[in-house]
Amino acid sequence: MNIIAVAINHHTAPIELREALYLQENEIREFIKDFQSNLTKEICILSTCNRTEIYCIPNSVDLTYKEIQDFLLRKKPVENISPSNFRNYFSCGAVNHLFHIAAGIDSLVIGDQQILGQVKDAFTIASEENSIGTYLQKVFQSALKVGKRVKTETELFEGPSSISAAAVQLAGKIFSDLKKKKVLVIGAGETSRLTLQNLKQKEVKNITITNRTLSRAEELAKEFNANVIPFIEFKDMLHEFDIIISATSSPEPLVIKSDIEQVMSRRKNQPLCILDIAIPRDFDPSVKDIENVFYNDIDALQIIVNQNLERRQSQIPKIKKIIMEELIELFSWYNSLQISPVIRALREQFEQIRLQEYEFFKNKFSPEQQQNLELLTKRIINKLLHNPTVYLRKSADTLDSQGDLNLRLNIIKEMFNIQNQISNNDE
Amino acid sequence: MRNIIHTLNTLLPIFYGITFLFYLLNYIYDKRELSLGKRLSLFITILIHFFYLLIRTIEFNHTPITTVFEIMTLLAFAITISYYIIELVTDVRNTGAFILFLPLIFQTVSSFNIKDLVEVKDILRSPYLGVHVFTALTGYAGITFSAIYGLLYLLLYKQIKSQKFGLIFNRMPNLELLEYLSLVSALVGFLMLTIAIVIGFIWLPQAFTEPSYFDPKLVATIIIWLFYAFGIFGRWIFKWSGRKIVYLSLTGFVITLFSMSILNLIFTGFHKFF
Repeated sequence: MNIIAVAINHHTAPIELREALYLQENEIREFIKDFQSNLTKEICILSTCNRTEIYCIPNSVDLTYKEIQDFLLRKKPVENISPSNFRNYFSCGAVNHLFHIAAGIDSLVIGDQQILGQVKDAFTIASEENSIGTYLQKVFQSALKVGKRVKTETELFEGPSSISAAAVQLAGKIFSDLKKKKVLVIGAGETSRLTLQNLKQKEVKNITITNRTLSRAEELAKEFNANVIPFIEFKDMLHEFDIIISATSSPEPLVIKSDIEQVMSRRKNQPLCILDIAIPRDFDPSVKDIENVFYNDIDALQIIVNQNLERRQSQIPKIKKIIMEELIELFSWYNSLQISPVIRALREQFEQIRLQEYEFFKNKFSPEQQQNLELLTKRIINKLLHNPTVYLRKSADTLDSQGDLNLRLNIIKEMFNIQNQISNNDE
Repeated sequence: MRNIIHTLNTLLPIFYGITFLFYLLNYIYDKRELSLGKRLSLFITILIHFFYLLIRTIEFNHTPITTVFEIMTLLAFAITISYYIIELVTDVRNTGAFILFLPLIFQTVSSFNIKDLVEVKDILRSPYLGVHVFTALTGYAGITFSAIYGLLYLLLYKQIKSQKFGLIFNRMPNLELLEYLSLVSALVGFLMLTIAIVIGFIWLPQAFTEPSYFDPKLVATIIIWLFYAFGIFGRWIFKWSGRKIVYLSLTGFVITLFSMSILNLIFTGFHKFF
């Protein structure tokens, strides 16, 4: 398959370059229009914060990787970029790379769940721009199938892969319905934001944020539809919350053991989950000795993350097997596309010869015998062509190398002189 | 018919063994095939056991409550079906290995010792006795479930507190649900024991001319009943929760196990008078 891929991603380039080459949806559409008319039959672009990748079926064999890279750099001029920041793929290599991406094992954090949706979006945009033909359509559909199979047949996406997600998972091991629990988030930095995203994914509704700088807490609260309490008051209200997540940059502990002892007495000893993801820690670690207080700091959460990452790594052989199965299926399909015209032409030519001979001899037979003659000649042709047809179809499924298949097809074309017939059929 | 009963009697421990093995393996290895296999195996085992109890009752013309070994097979069935209902209602599927070893033991002991009894005393055909035995069995099954869920609660509690996130952490549902399951099981157990005791008291003077109200098993059951009544009262009035209520459930179970084991070792019949 004459598919080319040019990729710049977290394996090849630092974040500055990846950011600079990131294409918005309108830029992708514009790129496709300009590039397609000049250089390719089919094109699809995948651009995320971690990668910009161009997949295309070129108009001619002369199109080089360099031309595609240059075209991209003309659209998005970037300084200090070198050829080593790009990685180029061809044919099976390009498809294999796309399948790895869709499976989620080429991402920065292995098992990234978003990437499959991003591949789907890239496919949708290209379809809307009519830049997807028979080949890329099949390739991207197969990639999406890989992603779906990985989701249903493996455990790659199970368990948290970040500290903030692990914090929410841990809270879910204490309480049965997080949606009904009251959550306090202390701090309004990036870690708090990520934690809030995870809480929202679990449909937690009752969230309160507090921060030294009130305006930042308000900003975050607006984004996540949460409540805000002033920082100086939060200690007096701790007993109201079932889950407390703290991620401030305070150099001193904000809460000490006696504070939590009071909280527990006001809570009538109801379970309290404290997730301290600040460095240095916001809570005195000795609070974990209090009955029904489940205190976990960043080290504890890191254990959960590491366990999950190890489990994800262990899934890779299974995923590679899925990718291999889908690659074989795709290339069998592609080979059959090449074989079908040859089989058709071969059969047409044999049929023509049969008809010519039949017409020539038919008057020497009675009308009744003519019917038998037609049946006889058809049966002979079918029997003659049975083995070659089976042989060609089997070649499509079993030959590893595209060159081997082409060689066999060319021999048959020349042997039976059916080259012109195939060209006429194509037209 | 008897041939079918004997075959099923031999097969049942094997089916319970397979089901238990499926649950155990799925607890250790989180595989989809094992997860499907265990539920199918449990369902088939329940169907076969139900069929076995049904044809046994028809063939021998009495409900299987006349000997310890008949009661054991009924108890195995009661525990299994109760677990199946809990699994369906709560969708908690990883606690089976901790519960299904019980019916495996009961059914195996029963299968080795059960006899084909056609002639039984008229007193054992009384519907009162049927209800009494059934409610007592479900009551003890409830107490056992409560203790098992309580134990799982403590193990998970310990793992979270000590920040050692092992198999229990990965496979068990949350603490709140385990506590709830333990509590509901204890409540159902308590309710059933109450009914068993009340029916026993009503039926006793009708069935026996000189019944003894100081029968050891009766006294032990009342002590157990009072202990659980105390726990439920504490939960209701003083809002006891968490480890406190779980420890109570475990203590109740230990008292039950201890008293019943000793009593069954000393006395061969169900009660002193019978």
